[in-house]
Amino acid sequence: MKDRTVLHIEDNEYNRKIVRQLLSRTTYRLLEAADGEEGLAVAKRELPDLILMDVQLPKLSGLDATRLLRADPRTASIPLVVVTSFALSGDDRKAMDAGASAYLAKPYSPRDLMALIHRFLPEN
Amino acid sequence: MALLSSPLGAPVRAVAKIRASVHVKLLAGFLLITLLFIAMTAVSLRTFAETARETNLLDQAHERVGWSRQIEHALAMQMHFTSMTLLSQGSDPVSLILRENNRFNDTLARLEIAAPAEERALIQAIRGAQDDAMATVADIANAVRDKRLAEAMTVLRTRQEPVYQKIETLVGSLVAAEETRMAKFRASLAATHRQSMRLMAGFAVASVVLALVGGFVISWSFILPVRAAHGFLSDVAAGRFGGTLVVPNRDEFGALAEHMTWMSRELRRLDDEQRVAAATLRGLNDRLALASRAKSEFLANMSHELRTPLNAILGFTEIILDELYGEVPANLREPLVDIQTNGRHLLSLINDVLDLSKIEAGRLELGVGEYSVQEIVEVVHASLRSLAIEKGLAFSVRVAPGIPTAWGDGRRLTQCLLNLAGNALKFTRHGRVDIDVSLADDWLTFRVVDTGIGIPKDEVENIFAEFRQVDTTITREYGGTGLGLSITKRLVELHGGRIGVESELGRGSTFFFTVPLRADGGPA
Repeated sequence: MKDRTVLHIEDNEYNRKIVRQLLSRTTYRLLEAADGEEGLAVAKRELPDLILMDVQLPKLSGLDATRLLRADPRTASIPLVVVTSFALSGDDRKAMDAGASAYLAKPYSPRDLMALIHRFLPEN
Repeated sequence: MALLSSPLGAPVRAVAKIRASVHVKLLAGFLLITLLFIAMTAVSLRTFAETARETNLLDQAHERVGWSRQIEHALAMQMHFTSMTLLSQGSDPVSLILRENNRFNDTLARLEIAAPAEERALIQAIRGAQDDAMATVADIANAVRDKRLAEAMTVLRTRQEPVYQKIETLVGSLVAAEETRMAKFRASLAATHRQSMRLMAGFAVASVVLALVGGFVISWSFILPVRAAHGFLSDVAAGRFGGTLVVPNRDEFGALAEHMTWMSRELRRLDDEQRVAAATLRGLNDRLALASRAKSEFLANMSHELRTPLNAILGFTEIILDELYGEVPANLREPLVDIQTNGRHLLSLINDVLDLSKIEAGRLELGVGEYSVQEIVEVVHASLRSLAIEKGLAFSVRVAPGIPTAWGDGRRLTQCLLNLAGNALKFTRHGRVDIDVSLADDWLTFRVVDTGIGIPKDEVENIFAEFRQVDTTITREYGGTGLGLSITKRLVELHGGRIGVESELGRGSTFFFTVPLRADGGPA
């Protein structure tokens, strides 16, 4: 069976590095994008199995990108975790309204992120 | 104002323009009526006096006519008794004639005193004739006594009779004169009566007309400005300021109108000022709203910008400690945990500042929904249990049984309880911290009881103010931003609840807050 693909859309290089490090010891294939437009393009091209979307992104915001992905029937059902900026800011509700499958408040514990990934996408 | 153009308008305006007080004008009006009354009384009295005088004259004339008649009678009797002298040839009739003569003379004397001057000559003539008559009576009496009857008869016929006829004629003219005079008096009295009737009627009509006109003019000179003021004040009440109230009055009403005009202009000025101020405030408010929105956006962005590197710091620290990069040397583990602790502290500071600025801007909204009190208490207990164990404190929770599912912002209430319990654990060195939740009359009470350092009495009031900790050294010793209690208070108040504290220095504190079981915004 083909390895599960995770798309991480995040503009901060260090945060991408953390996820890269986290997934380096797993069987997941990691795709990365540094802004909303790129993330949307990669998602539509590669149709990953799980998308981790930062809420605040250059060019196209995470919430808008989420809405566009949900509007496209090919990407509408891909599990999508939005990384919000603050649990109490109201971003979480906006994320769920935009069509996210789950949200994770920043700063998140890498352990919690791994647990979420495992929940949506059990490792082979 | 149709009245002012009518014929009475001019006197009304004239009275209004008189520079005298209303009091004086009214007094003058009453005085005018009183004077008319006095004048009428005087005229009446004068008329009565005139009538009385003429009546008196009439009476006198009447009396004189009576006396004239008596003289005529006395004369007739004299003539009768003279004839009797001849017939009886005795002396008795002579004494009767003398009696009649005396009466005649008496009456004539009375008449002479009362008679007007023009009758005096006539009376003198009568008296002279009477003296002649008495002389002939004496001659006749002597002749009769001497039995010279023929001579007596001759004297009677030739001298006596013409004298009596003459007297008779004279007395007749006297009577006629008195009667004429009496008729004249009677006519004059009637004329005086008619005249006084006319005069009094005229006076009465004139008084009534004058009083009516005077009253009308004076009262309208007061009513007109009142009506004008009424219209003017209606304008003011309707918000039409700045008009001028014009009245002809130069009395209190004139002064009042001037003040009203002044008031209206002042109102106009204040209204204009207020409008300008309101417009300025509106502009200012718009700018403030814009600034507030910009500030909120800035804070939201800032929060995210701060969180992103913090995420990297905490993330890297955690995966290093989780040995994703390989085994961690024992001497590095402690500084790595220090980095983690400080990173988390920095995060809580960022969260608090963001919360408070949102509350200050009035932009914090509760995400109301159903929540379980039991769950909140469990989350708080789970979050802080490790801290309690680390400090060697007993930490228990108790939720009264039978509390139903509540309505409100469960996450914010969790934050509140976490703040209070976190503080309690932070400021307690020995003993215990207990959380207790009870329900009474649809109000939930969350209580955190500690055996910590307590709060001095004079600080209790300020404990919920921003950036307030009892002693600034505490910040260093115990950490924290000093914003937790302030935020908790605002969140509780947003729920419509109340927060409070009971404390005894050195013995411990009890922080509590109450919120409705179903907070505002929830379905009934």
